[in-house]
Amino acid sequence: MKFVGILLALAGWLIPVVSLTYTQSLGARFALAIVGIAISLVGILFVLNQAHLKDAIWKQ
Amino acid sequence: MTGLLTRKTACSLLAGILLLFCGLGAWGQAQAAPPDSPPAAAPAAAATVVAPSMDAPLDVKAANPPSTDDLTKGDPGGTKTGTVSDIVVSDTKKGLTLADTVNQVGQNRIAINFVWTLITGFLVMFMQAGFAIVETGLCRAKNANHTMMMNFMVYSLGLFAFWVCGFAIQMGGGAPYATLGGAYPLNSEHTLNLFGKAWGVWGTHGFFLTQAGSYDVGVMVLFLFQMVFMDTALTIVTGAAAERWKYVAFAVSSVFMGALTYPLFANWAWGGGWLSQLGANFGLGHGYCDFAGSGVVHAVGGLTALALSMILGPRIGKYSRDGRPNAIPGHDIVLVLTGCFILAFGWFGFNPGSTLAASGNGALRISSVAVNTMLAGATGSFGAILYMWIRYGKPDASMSGNGLLAGLVAITAPSGFVNTISSAIIGLVAGVLVCVSVEFVDRILKVDDPVGAISVHGANGIWGVISVGLFADGTSNYGGSWNGVSGSVRGLFYGDASQLVAQLIGVATLIGFVFSFSYVANMVIHLIVGQRSAASEELAGLDIPEMGALGYPEFVLKPETIGTSMAAD
Repeated sequence: MKFVGILLALAGWLIPVVSLTYTQSLGARFALAIVGIAISLVGILFVLNQAHLKDAIWKQ
Repeated sequence: MTGLLTRKTACSLLAGILLLFCGLGAWGQAQAAPPDSPPAAAPAAAATVVAPSMDAPLDVKAANPPSTDDLTKGDPGGTKTGTVSDIVVSDTKKGLTLADTVNQVGQNRIAINFVWTLITGFLVMFMQAGFAIVETGLCRAKNANHTMMMNFMVYSLGLFAFWVCGFAIQMGGGAPYATLGGAYPLNSEHTLNLFGKAWGVWGTHGFFLTQAGSYDVGVMVLFLFQMVFMDTALTIVTGAAAERWKYVAFAVSSVFMGALTYPLFANWAWGGGWLSQLGANFGLGHGYCDFAGSGVVHAVGGLTALALSMILGPRIGKYSRDGRPNAIPGHDIVLVLTGCFILAFGWFGFNPGSTLAASGNGALRISSVAVNTMLAGATGSFGAILYMWIRYGKPDASMSGNGLLAGLVAITAPSGFVNTISSAIIGLVAGVLVCVSVEFVDRILKVDDPVGAISVHGANGIWGVISVGLFADGTSNYGGSWNGVSGSVRGLFYGDASQLVAQLIGVATLIGFVFSFSYVANMVIHLIVGQRSAASEELAGLDIPEMGALGYPEFVLKPETIGTSMAAD
């Protein structure tokens, strides 16, 4: 799951960056930037963090 | 008849006198005009005026320089010191020339910028002391030596890494830096050609400050200023990872961050890299704009702090078995608030110094930058204290300090582009945001951050980056352009929505790339040397096991009351 979390984080970065070359619409670029940030945050804060919390010290 | 003649004679006489006065006036004007001024009625004649020779000796008598006798009497009024006599003459036989004078003007401008940038850099360096005592005060007494020593050594470790390669990667391709005389040796950026555009990724000149002609006075000024910024980012991480970070892992991690993580993103934002070119290449405002580093310094530090806190896990006793968080108060609130004041003082170097100039190129905006910094810090602490007072019934001291820092972090990126109303709003939002974020990180994410670094620097660094895209008011003029796009930076509220998109792409890069890069690098370090200290050492306090001496050897430390049973299990 840690790997999936990092993949999501990277995907969230690449979506708005790559989209720069595919669309010139400001609205589309704005929406894709927001979507990308959201995907990265989900990947880091929930997927990756949950994977770390699985074996958190207070649960041992 | 006689009367008529007399009248005629008088008229002629009057006309003659008038003509005489007109002639005299015209002659007088011709005498008063500078010799090189063309006559107003004959502009074509301007081409025939001969420009004064640059190397011809100047007649400086009119400047009335004080004699040696005058100067030996002293100058209590300050009117005789700093005159034409002080201009450096290139050829003493010839005396002062126009070329000497013009060169002196140019050197004075660059000298002012050098001195300004160096002194503000010295102020930023002193922020290390502020960070050290804020973090130590927020930790327990049994870890005081360890926490101080991390903050102390991060300066040298980061400096070494930055000198070897970090600076070259960051700034090695961004020349010319006009306000510092160009720093022209830093002119080689490695680019990738993707989708028909050149994407600058890292600089290649300036390794060891000697390679490719980088032994240069302008380069040295830039290095000093950028180095202390980089060190600020590194020292943010030590706070979040405090009380459980192995010293050797800290050392390796810090060198890596100073050599690669920080310089890469800083190149993209400040060194002519692809983020700064989003305006020129893709029409997004002026590209990613981060005046003094809410993103480059603080978000990079805050997100690396998040990555490390996740890898390290919480301190023993921070969470109960059911996952409820326990407060682990710091040992010295006096240190914490004194440190916050030191940081606020240092921020006057951080933000106004980021003009890299006090003369020319619109650099007089340093006054506005300084006032914005001051205001946002104040409204930040105001927002935090109000939030805590309303929510918990008491004005919390450590959160007031964090509110001040949050306001300062948030205004760092927009400080050069916004007005005072906006800076007050940005600071106020930051003050509330830091409180909400600390609660979220502590209770929802269950990520242990002893000093609140993730919220202060990570969350508010990102807020600062976004706020440029909202509040930049289009009045700044740093040489007439920014990131290669002419005109002033404007945010959404001042008519340029595309600037906000550029800022959001910067945020996506910070969260998606910088976090991931830091996380993977620190996981590798974790697998090789191990990041977390042993539970027994953590319970005893890291001062003796890691440093060999207590921070407060004469104090009687209170026995640990939380987490001991958990460790015994």
